[in-house]
Amino acid sequence: MGPNLFVNYGEAVAAILFCIGFTNLLLQTNLIKKIIGLNIMDSAIYLFLAEKGYIAGRAAPIVTNGVTSAEAYINPIPSGLVLTGIVVSVSVSALMLSLTIRLYVRYHTLNLDEIAAQLKKEGK
Amino acid sequence: MYLILLPILFPILAGFCLLAYRKDPGRKLLTITTGICLVITGALVVVALMGTKQGLTLFHLTKKLPIYFNIDKISVIFSLLTVIVFLCAGFFSFVYMKHEQKEKRYYGYYLMAFGVLNALCFAGNLITFYLFFELLTLSSFPLVLHTGSKEAVMAGLKYLFYSLCGAYASLFGIYFLYHNCETLTFTAGGVLQISPASREGSFFLLIAFVMILGFGVKAGMFPMHAWLPTAHPAAPAPASAVLSAVIVKAGVLALIRVIYFIFGTGFLQGSWVQTAWLTLTLVTIFMGSMLAYREPVLKKRLAYSTVSQLYYILFGLAVMNEEAFTGSLLHVLAHGFIKSTLFLTAGAIIYTTGKTRVDELRGIGKKMPFTMWCYTIVSLGLIGIPPTGGFVSKWYLAMGGLTGDIGIFRYLGAAVLLVSALLTAGYLLPLTIQGFFPGADYDDTACRKQEPARLMTIPILCLTILSVLVGLFPNIITNYLTDFVSTLL
Amino acid sequence: MDFICNFPFFSILLSLFSGTICSILPGKAAKIVNRVVIITVGILSGILLVYLLDSGESFVYWMGHFPAPWGNEIRAGVLEAGMALFFCIIMYLSMAGGAHKLFDEVEESKHNLYYILINLLLSSLLALVYTNDMFTAYVFVEINTISACGLIMIRQVGRTIEAAVRYMIMSLLGSGLLLFGLCIMYDLTGHLLMSNIKESVSLLIQNGEYQIPLIVSIALMCVGLCIKSALFPFHAWLPDAYGYSTVSSAAILSSLVSKGYIFLLIKIIYRVIGFDIFNSTRIIDVLFVFGLMGMIFGSLSAIKEGDIRRMIAFSSVAQIGYIYMGFGMGTQAGMVASVFHILSHAATKSLLFIAAIGLTEVSGGSRKFIDLTGAGYRNKWAGVAFTAGSLSMVGVPLFSGFISKLLFAQAAVQVEGKMLAALIVLGISTVLNAIYFMKTVIRIYTAAGDTPYPCITFKDMKVHAVVLILFVILNVLLGVSSQPIVNMIEQGLAMFA
Repeated sequence: MGPNLFVNYGEAVAAILFCIGFTNLLLQTNLIKKIIGLNIMDSAIYLFLAEKGYIAGRAAPIVTNGVTSAEAYINPIPSGLVLTGIVVSVSVSALMLSLTIRLYVRYHTLNLDEIAAQLKKEGK
Repeated sequence: MYLILLPILFPILAGFCLLAYRKDPGRKLLTITTGICLVITGALVVVALMGTKQGLTLFHLTKKLPIYFNIDKISVIFSLLTVIVFLCAGFFSFVYMKHEQKEKRYYGYYLMAFGVLNALCFAGNLITFYLFFELLTLSSFPLVLHTGSKEAVMAGLKYLFYSLCGAYASLFGIYFLYHNCETLTFTAGGVLQISPASREGSFFLLIAFVMILGFGVKAGMFPMHAWLPTAHPAAPAPASAVLSAVIVKAGVLALIRVIYFIFGTGFLQGSWVQTAWLTLTLVTIFMGSMLAYREPVLKKRLAYSTVSQLYYILFGLAVMNEEAFTGSLLHVLAHGFIKSTLFLTAGAIIYTTGKTRVDELRGIGKKMPFTMWCYTIVSLGLIGIPPTGGFVSKWYLAMGGLTGDIGIFRYLGAAVLLVSALLTAGYLLPLTIQGFFPGADYDDTACRKQEPARLMTIPILCLTILSVLVGLFPNIITNYLTDFVSTLL
Repeated sequence: MDFICNFPFFSILLSLFSGTICSILPGKAAKIVNRVVIITVGILSGILLVYLLDSGESFVYWMGHFPAPWGNEIRAGVLEAGMALFFCIIMYLSMAGGAHKLFDEVEESKHNLYYILINLLLSSLLALVYTNDMFTAYVFVEINTISACGLIMIRQVGRTIEAAVRYMIMSLLGSGLLLFGLCIMYDLTGHLLMSNIKESVSLLIQNGEYQIPLIVSIALMCVGLCIKSALFPFHAWLPDAYGYSTVSSAAILSSLVSKGYIFLLIKIIYRVIGFDIFNSTRIIDVLFVFGLMGMIFGSLSAIKEGDIRRMIAFSSVAQIGYIYMGFGMGTQAGMVASVFHILSHAATKSLLFIAAIGLTEVSGGSRKFIDLTGAGYRNKWAGVAFTAGSLSMVGVPLFSGFISKLLFAQAAVQVEGKMLAALIVLGISTVLNAIYFMKTVIRIYTAAGDTPYPCITFKDMKVHAVVLILFVILNVLLGVSSQPIVNMIEQGLAMFA
């Protein structure tokens, strides 16, 4: 376990970051901090993917100098996944932010608990 | 072949149409329609009983679960009882319901409950039975909460809750039976092919007990009897008559079907389940009588009496021999006729005087001699004085108990039957005594004859006569049953 | 390859593009496009289902004609086609039943937006059902989440926005976990296509390598999808989201969106991990326990609730618990019961939501129980439909709920260790169901003295009434002729392997 962890320190960091992001998203009451948590969480996964796709000493998967052997390049799929993932997470973040703005305009606070309390007071 | 469906579908559809009909048809038209529907249903039942030679599989719920109807001698007895009580109570209610509201709804659900009960009698396998058992709860509980008072609604809810819990307890058992039995069709002698001594067998004994308790809820078995004395008095009198005389018998029918047609008596005889069941029945008989004895409100008193009397029947079933079983079936009929008469007379009294407590009814015999005579005759029957219906059935029950292979219960059963008969006299006869002999200080001059309308007295009379006939000619029924009963055991 | 094999792809594409087209159409036209698309997709799925039943084996469709390890694939079997058809039916009925409410609750200018969301939702559901590629599944899970969030907040009141935020937060947690689990799986196996992953996984299991990361990956994916489908401890967002959104949304969310995720989980269990390997992990025990807890606590919360819509929403928590309990049994029979319950619950829950709206409408728009007194008389059709739905939920024979309970019980009887727990909880939960549903039914049929609210006749609510009748028929159909459907489910699950 120990040496593995050391060799795969990138993955370990990604896992730790994921946990940080996850807890933030789950436990923070401030909506902006929640969204930051969301982005940390997603980035951690992309870090993990990038770390997995990278093979030390190989080039980016763009054919250079006519070398077509797969041995020369890193695996392009994780990078593709990261790109797709980024698109998804950008749109999700945008949606969350727009929702946050709407709530802020209505209730003048970013604290989800306070919003819930106000809603209860409204009684609807 | 589809004849068997007619007495089930016709009243249900008629009731449904009545409920769905938007305009108010007026009282007269309503009662006439209902009356015609009741009579037609009665006729259809008779036709179905005569004309059905074989069972009918309607469709399959799943591969192993057909909806299946069949008629055997048990069905005949229960459905005849249903028809007679439903017709009499129905005609009685045409007058009685005058002072209640929402008659249309009442008759609608009344007809539906009639159809469902017929289906219950004709059900040929456990799953069909269970289906209509649930539907019976659902269609009869609007009758309980009919008056719509808070008390009645609470009583209705209590009824619903107890019944559903009971039904689910039995469903729990059905799941296991479904898995372990080849078929769930009612077969004389049972379908379970497991020896009670095996490991699985001991588990199935538990299942049997759970199912007895579950179906027993409907029959008001101690300790789940609490709904019965609440629900029965809350309903209008004819509805209580039906509830007490027939609908609780659905629980009895359920136990007959489960014990004699699914598990088989061989499986349960001598097991702890039988002991526990016998104990419960004796406790309930005694407790019901005691509670009835202490109860001042007439209808409630009758409801407690139902609890106690039903357990005569279940005692007979639990003994599991021929005499006791015959006694049970006789008592089903006798109690059905007697208890419906009692509730109808109580209804007639409430209708004319508006009084509900026994101690308010001093001198009632002078005002309503006919009603009170009927009351007295059937009371004697329930106590078990020959030649009325109750005597013969109790005789068979006691004989069955004494010859049964049930250890200490042999004597205990007979003793409890006797004590309970005394208590029955104690709670039923005071009304007669006070009614006819109000004492010297009673002002005779003020009372005048207040007999209710014909439509009320005739059903009461019919039921009274029938209850006496059961006592006079029990041979017809016992002869009819002899061969059949021996196949069951 | 037959032309029919293109149908799954056509359905996804059709709904995806019609979503885009809706954005430039006015509300009315968008509505028509939406309806037509749902019907078309339904017909396509129906034809596909018949074709697959006939041919008896599933097929794989190469997107872009690249062969297995590289290309993206669609796969269709009996279960997939059946689900797609069923989803279309429920969606159409829910849309039709809630259409009149949409006009009251959503601004006119936003109507076409609503139809875009519905179309996107349909396409993502179809993609979840058909896809054979894990990453595609993830992307469509996110699309599903986004459009579901839109469905919640299309009715712009404080509650719905708050509910949408909560929904988003929980969903994002779920999809984060799903994605992480998926990445670990990719890391372990080097594949994204389900069939290829399965081969590698069984190889890994055989060689006894990377056991812990494998379990972690499976667990992450499961937990992610559990959160998204609102399994018991993760259900906090659900009552508000279902309770305050416009009624079509509530019906679709409860009966389709959560079911889409559950269906994906089934696919993962069968096609990615392998049924036997999944059952040998302890994860099924966890699912089982949480399923049981959900069944009880969901019902308890529903009993305490004084708001009819929220009550129905809480009942969904309990019903999802049933489904996970079926997974937790770890047998084929349990799985069949769960899949049947997906159908039965979808048909019943949307019926209840649509009927409840009919009842609240005749009670001055209030959904408090006290105001609903006598609503069953004021709106007869909704009253009868609600009663039918309740009976199905309670498990009265002849309705679909009874069959699913029967199947669950039958499955439970076969599992030694879990039998008693499952049956007892099944019994308790049924009684609890009976308490709150019967309470409601009695409430709506208790005569109210004199209410200011008007009665509604058939003429005032033709579409609504017809939809309710169709829902009831669907329910009874599932309850009465369950055998062919169960056979179909068994066949479909067999094709998964």
